[in-house]
Amino acid sequence: MSAPSGQLGGSFGRGLPGWARPREEELAGAGRTRLIETTLLLLVGLVLAIATVNDVVRQVHVNHRLVADLRSWRQYTGHAYKNLSVEQDFYGHTTRDIVCGNVAPGAPKERTQLCLVLSGPVVAGRRAARGGFYLPAKVEDIRSYRYACYGSARSAGLCPR
Amino acid sequence: MSAAAPSVRGGAGVRLDWWAPALAGLLAVLLAAATAEIVVDGAAGHSALIPKSPPIAGWLGGIGERLGYRVFLIAVLVSVVAYAGLLALARRARRSATRGSTISTRAALALIAALHVIVFIGPILLSTDVFSYIAYARMGVEHGLNPYLHGPSSIAGDPVYVYVGHDWRDVATAYGPLYTLLSYPLAPLGLVGAVWGMKVLALAASVGTLALTWRCARARGLDPLWAVLVIGLNPLYVIYGLGGAHNDLIMLLAMMTAVSLTLARPGGGPEVASGATAPSGGRPAPGARREASAAAAIVAGALVKATVAALLPFMIVSRRRLAPILGALAALAAGAAIGYLAFGIHGIDVVAALNRDAAFVSTDSFATEIAHLFGKPGVFPVDHDLLKAGLVIIVAHLLWRTWRGYDWVAASGWALLAISVTSTWLLAWYILWPLPLAVVTRDKRLLVATLAVQALFIVHQCTPLLAPVA
Repeated sequence: MSAPSGQLGGSFGRGLPGWARPREEELAGAGRTRLIETTLLLLVGLVLAIATVNDVVRQVHVNHRLVADLRSWRQYTGHAYKNLSVEQDFYGHTTRDIVCGNVAPGAPKERTQLCLVLSGPVVAGRRAARGGFYLPAKVEDIRSYRYACYGSARSAGLCPR
Repeated sequence: MSAAAPSVRGGAGVRLDWWAPALAGLLAVLLAAATAEIVVDGAAGHSALIPKSPPIAGWLGGIGERLGYRVFLIAVLVSVVAYAGLLALARRARRSATRGSTISTRAALALIAALHVIVFIGPILLSTDVFSYIAYARMGVEHGLNPYLHGPSSIAGDPVYVYVGHDWRDVATAYGPLYTLLSYPLAPLGLVGAVWGMKVLALAASVGTLALTWRCARARGLDPLWAVLVIGLNPLYVIYGLGGAHNDLIMLLAMMTAVSLTLARPGGGPEVASGATAPSGGRPAPGARREASAAAAIVAGALVKATVAALLPFMIVSRRRLAPILGALAALAAGAAIGYLAFGIHGIDVVAALNRDAAFVSTDSFATEIAHLFGKPGVFPVDHDLLKAGLVIIVAHLLWRTWRGYDWVAASGWALLAISVTSTWLLAWYILWPLPLAVVTRDKRLLVATLAVQALFIVHQCTPLLAPVA
C-alpha cells in the first residue's frame, strides 16, 4: 500500500513503511465500519435497557411481596413487631415466602419463633398463610431446627419429620 | 443563569425565545437546590445512604432531616432532569451561535463552582471508600503495616476502623502505590483532618480535570463550555464522585493531563480548526517530550488506579513513535522502583489486585441484570470468562480502528465504557471514567452512549421509589 496524503510524519514515523505510518484520517471503509458499529451499539443498548427495566420490575415485585408478607404476618399473629425475618424466592420460581418472628416480645430471635409460609397473589395488601412451623429461640431458620409443621409446610416437607 | 435576552434568531435559524434564559436559571436553581437537599439532609446523620463518619459537617446537622431513600432518589431525579434541560438549552444555544444570551460562561462556571462547594462542605456521601483510603494511610504511617499485605482489620483499635465498610475490613488495598504514598501525608492529621484532606484532594482533582477538559476541547476546536458543563453539572460526578471523595477523580486528572499533553501546541490555538472526521490526535504532532510526558502521566494515573492504563495502547498505536513508549517505560520503572522500595513486591503486583476485584459482583452491574433477564440468580464464573472475552474483542477492534486512523482519545473512552459495562462490580463512579474523554472527541456516539449508560444506572437505582410503603 502506498503512503496516502493523510499520513503523519513524526521522526520515528518517517522510518516506518507507508502502511504502518500514523494517519491523519481514517482509511477508506470507515463509514461502513461505523454503520456496523452503530447498529451493534443500538442492539447492545436495547439489551441493556430491557435488562434494566426487567430488573426494576422484578425488584418492585419482590418489594411488593415483601411488604405484603410482613403485613400478613403481623395481622395473623396480632403482633406489630418490626423485626421479622423473611426468606424470599427472589427469582420467581414459586410465590412461596417464609416469614418468621417471635411469639412473645423480645429481641429478634431471642424467643420461640413462629414462621408462616405465605404464597399466592397479593390481595388487598396481604397474602394467604397456607402453613407454618416453629423454631426454637436463638437459632437460624435451618430445616433441622423446625418443628410442629402444619399445612403446606408439612406437605412440602419443610420440617425434618 | 443569565440576564434575560430578547427573542433572537441564531445563525442556524434556531429561534431563541425569551424564556430560554429564565428556564436556564430555573433549572440551575433546581440543580443546586436538589444537591443542597442531599447534602443538608445527609448532614443530619442516621441514614443508610450516608456512611457513619466523624463529625465533619455537624454545623449543617440542625438544618435538614434524616436522608431517606425517597427524598434522595427524588433529589437525584430532579438533578438529572435539570442537568438534561441545561445541556439541551446549551446545545440549542450553541447551534444558534448566541449562547451568551441563554447561558453565559460566567454563570455556567459559577453554577459548577456552587455545586462543588455545596458538596465539599457537606458529609461524605454514599460510600465508605474514603475511610478505607484513610485506613490504608494510617496503617502505613501510624502502625508501620504494609497496606498491600493487610486489611484495615489489622488496626481494629484505630479510630478510623469503625468507619471502614464491613466488606472491606479484611481487604488489602487495591490502589496503586503512587496513590497510597500520596495519602500518607494525611494520616498524621488525625481522622477529621484526613477526611478533609481527602475532600480537598478530590476537589482539587475535579477542578484540575475540568480545567484540562476545557483546554483539550479548545485545542480540538470544540466548545469548551459545553465540555465542562457536561462533566461539572453531571449528578453522578457531583453527588457520587465528588460527594464520596473518590480517588477516581485523581485518576481522571492524570488521564486528562495525558490527553492535554498530546494535544498541546507550543504556539497555542486550536489543534483542529474544523472537520467532520475524527483525527487521530494532535496535528501537527506534538513534540516527543510532550508525548513521552503524556505516556508517563497515564502510567502515573495507573499507579493511582490501574484502570486508566487502558489509554496507553491506544496512544501508542495512534502515535507510532518511540517517545510515548519510552516515556511509559521510564515512568513504569520509576513507579515500580518507588512501589517496591515502599511496599515490597506486593506494592507493584497490580495484576493480583485487579483479579481479586474482577471477581466481585454488585447488584447494580449490567452483568447481573442480564443474568436476571435470562432467569439466572446471578453471575457465575463462566459469565466472568465470557465478559472478559467480550472485552478483549472490543479492545482488539478499537485498536484496529485506531491503527487505521480513528481518534485514540475516543477509542480510549470506548474502552473505559466497555470496562465499566462488562464489569460485574459496577459502582456509580465507574461510569464517570469515559465522560471527560467523550466531551473532547468528535465521535458524538461516545457521549450519547456514556450518558445513556448513566441514565440506565440511575433508573436501576430508583427501584425503591416504586416500592409500596410498609
